[in-house]
Amino acid sequence: MIPAMLWGVGMSAYGLQPDRRVEALCWDAIGGAVRDAGISPGDIDAIVVGSVFGPPGVATRVQRGIGIPGVPMWTVENACASGTSAFHEAVEAVRHGRFGCVLVLGVDQMSTLFSGAIVPEATDPEGAASLPLPGLYALAAQRYVQEFGVTPEQLAAVAVKNKRNGLDNPLAQLRASAPTVQEVLGSRVIAEPLTMLQCCPTSDGAGAVIVGAERGVAGDLLVEASAMVSGALWDHRSADVWGFASVARAAEQAFAQAGRSPAEIDVLEVHDAFTIGEIVTCEALGLAPRGKGAELAPSGHTARDGLQPVNPSGGLLSRGHPLGGTGPAQLAEIAWQLRGQAGPRQVARHRVGLVETMGGGAAGMDGNACVVAILSVPD
Amino acid sequence: MAELGVGRPTKRRPGAAVGGLPVAESRPALDGEAVLGSRCTACRYPAAQRGIPWCPACYGPVADARFAVTGTAWSSTVVAIPVGTRRPPFGLAYLDLDDGPRVLVHLAEAAVVPIGTRLRITGTDGGDLVAAVAP
Repeated sequence: MIPAMLWGVGMSAYGLQPDRRVEALCWDAIGGAVRDAGISPGDIDAIVVGSVFGPPGVATRVQRGIGIPGVPMWTVENACASGTSAFHEAVEAVRHGRFGCVLVLGVDQMSTLFSGAIVPEATDPEGAASLPLPGLYALAAQRYVQEFGVTPEQLAAVAVKNKRNGLDNPLAQLRASAPTVQEVLGSRVIAEPLTMLQCCPTSDGAGAVIVGAERGVAGDLLVEASAMVSGALWDHRSADVWGFASVARAAEQAFAQAGRSPAEIDVLEVHDAFTIGEIVTCEALGLAPRGKGAELAPSGHTARDGLQPVNPSGGLLSRGHPLGGTGPAQLAEIAWQLRGQAGPRQVARHRVGLVETMGGGAAGMDGNACVVAILSVPD
Repeated sequence: MAELGVGRPTKRRPGAAVGGLPVAESRPALDGEAVLGSRCTACRYPAAQRGIPWCPACYGPVADARFAVTGTAWSSTVVAIPVGTRRPPFGLAYLDLDDGPRVLVHLAEAAVVPIGTRLRITGTDGGDLVAAVAP
């Protein structure tokens, strides 16, 4: 199997940008990634796009602006993990010798989808019953409150950590200051116990990654592992909250592929669409036992100056969550961290990084898909 | 220029409740005193869906089933924002029906309940299952 390397990354700004064409967001990201990789557009053999809401045909409208005609190109939809799934596809293609250089693009523009009340997916049994995604996460949070004694302050600590990290991220939604625990808890209640500042903001954004075979260029990062799983039945038999099992499933595969344990990961970008999401995910990744994930942020373990920084970019809580665009943004941050290029966000130990995205939105399944990738600085 | 998206849902197929075209009903059905679904004839796995080709747990043959309307709450929440045509506050819970599937219900009273609280589905509201704390 040919080792797959990350050659370059690029991102548009992430935030409310309803007046920008979705293609323009993509061109920003692709331009950045191609320049970062030091290639010319003609070097690209294939294009894999991750997007949930597209719209249909967005890949080809983007292609019109960049050339690279005729190459194999397809769009992947795996809910929130669409962009990371596109990355996984590219990694696997390079590993199996199908292509030598692949452009990965992840994009979604959420600001033009709905205004006012959230409109969940009408064809979903629970979406049709008016369960919004923050409500699904709130059901998990409430379970953790009652089962493990997780406190409101512990939930808020994730938002405080990530929004403070996000202040140093020029590509995230800029704020003058980060909220305190009390301000997080005092923000508008969305679904008990989650408050507004515990939920990622609406956002638009595109990210791009260039994946290729080994080429001996300094700054290229080794993809030690990439694992993609779909969901499994989540029902009355499930031992864990929604959002746990699919992450654990992908993580197990990724750690086995890389031959590593969770303790060896220096820096992580994980799916913190809601504060409880980061807590449950860290448990599923093996950073803490079940029920103890809520201690990671308050103890400083996952702070930027902690032993295992989680979401030094500010995460989804700072960037927002333009679904398909999230995976590449996470990969970009890990790339910058591993290369020592993260500026004010730079973490001290940066040899091995991990990216995790898990998408939901289908009732009765423990996630639509989850991708866990492990990258490292080559020896 | 008009504000983007205002006045209409721009999402594809948002459902009839918010002005889109109707879609086929996917929510669990209540038939008098029973929730309709399927049960595997080999492993007894209960599902809140009908029309599935085999048991999703063991691939055995399934048959139509009727489930008890009583069960225990796995978790609950109170939603404080408008969702579709629902106005806040409204309570939701995952209800594990006795010898049956886990279903999402609206709570008659918009309040969080302790894990394990006994609930009873009392009817439907606009097609959503509604449950109250069982005495």
